Amino acid sequence: MFQIIKNEWLFLVRSRIFLSISIAFILVLLLSVFLGNYQTHKQEQTHQNAKDHVRQQWVSIDEMNPHSAAHYGTYVFKPSNLLSSLDEGVNSVTGNVLKVEGHVQNEIVHSEASQMQAVSRFGKLKPSLLLQYIVPLLLIFLAFNSVSKEKQSGRLKLMVLQGAKPLQIILSKTVSVWLYGIVLLTFILLVYSILNFQSFTAEILKRTGLFFLSYCFYYFIVSGLTVFFSSRWQNATVALTSMLGIWIIWTLFLPTILMSSAEKWHSLPSRSEFQAAMQEDRSKGLDGHNPSDERGVALKEKVLKEYGVDSLSQLPINFDGMRMQADEEYGNSVWDKHFGNNRDVLKKQKNSFQLGGLVNPFISLQNTSMGFMASDNLHHQEFLLQVENYRRVFIKMLNDKQTFGGSKTGNWGWKEDNAFFKSVPDFDYKTTQISTVLSNYMLDLGFLILWSILVTLLLVFGTKKIQIV
Amino acid sequence: MRNLTIFFYEWKHFVRSPFKIVAVLLFIVASMYGLQNGANLYEKQNTEIERISKEAENERETILSYFENNEKGPEKKPWIDVTTPYWAIGNTPTYHFKKPSPALVYTIGQTEQYGFYKAIGTSSSPYDADMAKEIANPERIQSGTLDFSFVILFLLPLLLLVLLYTIKGQEAEQGFLQLVIVQTESKNWWILARTAFYTLLLLVILLGLLLYGAMLTNVFETVMVFWNVLLWVSIYLIFWVIIYFLILKYGQSTVSNTLQMIGIWLLFAFIVPAAIHQWISIEKPTNLMVDIIDVKRDKTDEIYNQTNELTDEQLFKLYPNLKQTEIAKDTLRIITARRSSIRALINIAMKDATAKVEEDNRSKNELISKTYWLNPVTYFQNKLNQLSNSHYNDYQNYRNDIQNLVDKRIEIMVLDIWNDVKVDKTKYLEYNKRLNK
Repeated sequence: MFQIIKNEWLFLVRSRIFLSISIAFILVLLLSVFLGNYQTHKQEQTHQNAKDHVRQQWVSIDEMNPHSAAHYGTYVFKPSNLLSSLDEGVNSVTGNVLKVEGHVQNEIVHSEASQMQAVSRFGKLKPSLLLQYIVPLLLIFLAFNSVSKEKQSGRLKLMVLQGAKPLQIILSKTVSVWLYGIVLLTFILLVYSILNFQSFTAEILKRTGLFFLSYCFYYFIVSGLTVFFSSRWQNATVALTSMLGIWIIWTLFLPTILMSSAEKWHSLPSRSEFQAAMQEDRSKGLDGHNPSDERGVALKEKVLKEYGVDSLSQLPINFDGMRMQADEEYGNSVWDKHFGNNRDVLKKQKNSFQLGGLVNPFISLQNTSMGFMASDNLHHQEFLLQVENYRRVFIKMLNDKQTFGGSKTGNWGWKEDNAFFKSVPDFDYKTTQISTVLSNYMLDLGFLILWSILVTLLLVFGTKKIQIV
Repeated sequence: MRNLTIFFYEWKHFVRSPFKIVAVLLFIVASMYGLQNGANLYEKQNTEIERISKEAENERETILSYFENNEKGPEKKPWIDVTTPYWAIGNTPTYHFKKPSPALVYTIGQTEQYGFYKAIGTSSSPYDADMAKEIANPERIQSGTLDFSFVILFLLPLLLLVLLYTIKGQEAEQGFLQLVIVQTESKNWWILARTAFYTLLLLVILLGLLLYGAMLTNVFETVMVFWNVLLWVSIYLIFWVIIYFLILKYGQSTVSNTLQMIGIWLLFAFIVPAAIHQWISIEKPTNLMVDIIDVKRDKTDEIYNQTNELTDEQLFKLYPNLKQTEIAKDTLRIITARRSSIRALINIAMKDATAKVEEDNRSKNELISKTYWLNPVTYFQNKLNQLSNSHYNDYQNYRNDIQNLVDKRIEIMVLDIWNDVKVDKTKYLEYNKRLNK
């Protein structure tokens, strides 16, 4: 078997067309890795500048009332990560700027896609684009006549006469084509590693390893299936067109159709409905800015009782800050309910979409590729959750300062000095560890493995009775 | 005459090839699915617009009831006084909609990247958070919707490939190409006639599909859109026919022709647009809207904290008529009027900031347009987007309209505050009429 694989590669290397296509493609791959990397670094720089600018504004506040500072707020910019230079996932369509302020959980806005006219339907020239769409086509082109050509030339019969078993030959053909994909994949990851050697961590290594693994499975599926068609059909053109048909259905049709269907099965509210529902729930709670609000009055009575005093002026604390925090906590429960509902719907959509891997391994590949490169919706939602958690800590710090910082109720002119604002920590994004989210991709990996087994079985049993001539 | 015979003979080729028939049928099904998706989005947006308009009507009724009951506003919010221009205008529900074009059935373009309704207030800006796109799964947005334009731009060249790839190559492989050439006298005319048959077949299919789409959203209500879409779709088809014809003319075998056709398709559909997208992102990284953030916070604070003289000077420069009003001469009443009019100055600062963002976006678009000569698929995509009013520029126009409405709202408010206008039901209805024009 090893000898057949070796021979296959010798044939390939001797082919001028193959060599020129490979060299040209490797150059495009190199370009994609280099440009992807360069773009990520440039975007990181823009991100860092904006982050520093906004932080500088915050730490430069000379003096300000803490609640005014909660309205002044701060901004969080979605960071680009090193991994997204391999697969950008949803990053170009999600927003990039999120305002962190009191009373409200904002939505992330200003996506890259909204800042220009349509350019590319399939995203930027990132390695994932080439690995997902183009490399499988190259594998199809390499494999579509691998067996039929041998049949037509009589070499297959010769090999069988020399002692090789048909199954061995077919498996060897599959492996040799598959190895070509693996070589390209390894090459990309190697160049990527060299370019980012200094920033490499165990986490990146784990994620890249899983990324590699999922592509290995997919390439095996494509190579195996094409070789199978090549062995079953006498006519190479039929094998080629069949595989091209499958490629079109897998990569162009099914992902968009299934994702749209998943969105219909589990529908999200419209923005206006979502806002109205939150407003409705919010209006049932405490209004921090309205001293005559019924729930605010009840809270006042409770606090006065706790401190054993008769009026707000006798309180050693600033009740305004306390009311604001109570308002905030009620608001948080509303945001948790509504944003939580949306997250649940998105999760259901994702689960339904993942099931599509049963009929289309490309879906599983896309999911794992984005997921392992930390650029899918799951990681985006993780980022939004971290920002929201930060917002709650940030606003509580400001409200607590208003309450316990030494001012009295109603003293809105009271201001905190610069030292306090400097002490408020900046948002620090903690990258999601793959170990904590790996379970979300087990279904996709499972489908890729299942498909690989199915293709192997197809090769083993489906080619038993192939015609040698 | 001979060419005409070849042309008609191709029909026999076609009907005897189940593979080609299945491909055409699949294309028709995909197109109808795409048209249906476009029509659904059109319906969805119209329904949402109708719902929001009704909500605005209810809000309006609530405010009108305050006038009818001699109230100044909601009981729980005693600071609101709708008899003053500041609060009356603040409580005049005004929405600006980007009404979907019936041609959305053909291409949804960039519709899903942007919001299509906007509540207008005196502190609104075209870059507010509520201008963001509808809540949707980003993975779905990223993979895109299978609309009719997707079928045309990406699948039509593939269908054409399926219909044409055997021309000449098959005859050459079966050894009777020379015979064909002898019989037809000209190889080129023979290829052209066969290619023309499939081109005509596709044109008829496309016309049928466009008519089906037109039935879903009343495309004919919009002047010329249908014919323009047909024209551009036909040009796109001819573009690919020419490329494939040249490949067939100079090609040697079916397999090599197929590979070349696929190669060109990959180049134009994937590689070139993706490379240009990448290049644009490097040249012009995503704008993080820092200029707008600065105006929203520091510049706003600066305006609020500037001297009264400077504020008056800026307001009088903006609205020269204010200087002659009674309030301008009243040292007490001017304080409230000035405070309520500061929004106008912030609006100017905000417009300066958004102008920078828009200039940045404009230069990105210019770069993209400059690459059209080597990026035909993107060119046709944007052409179709323009026809269905779902191009970036259509949303830019929508943003411009919003800004104009904000300007108008602020102007009415400031002038009426300084002219000490008392708002009653009639005046409130007049505000509604003027602001919702």
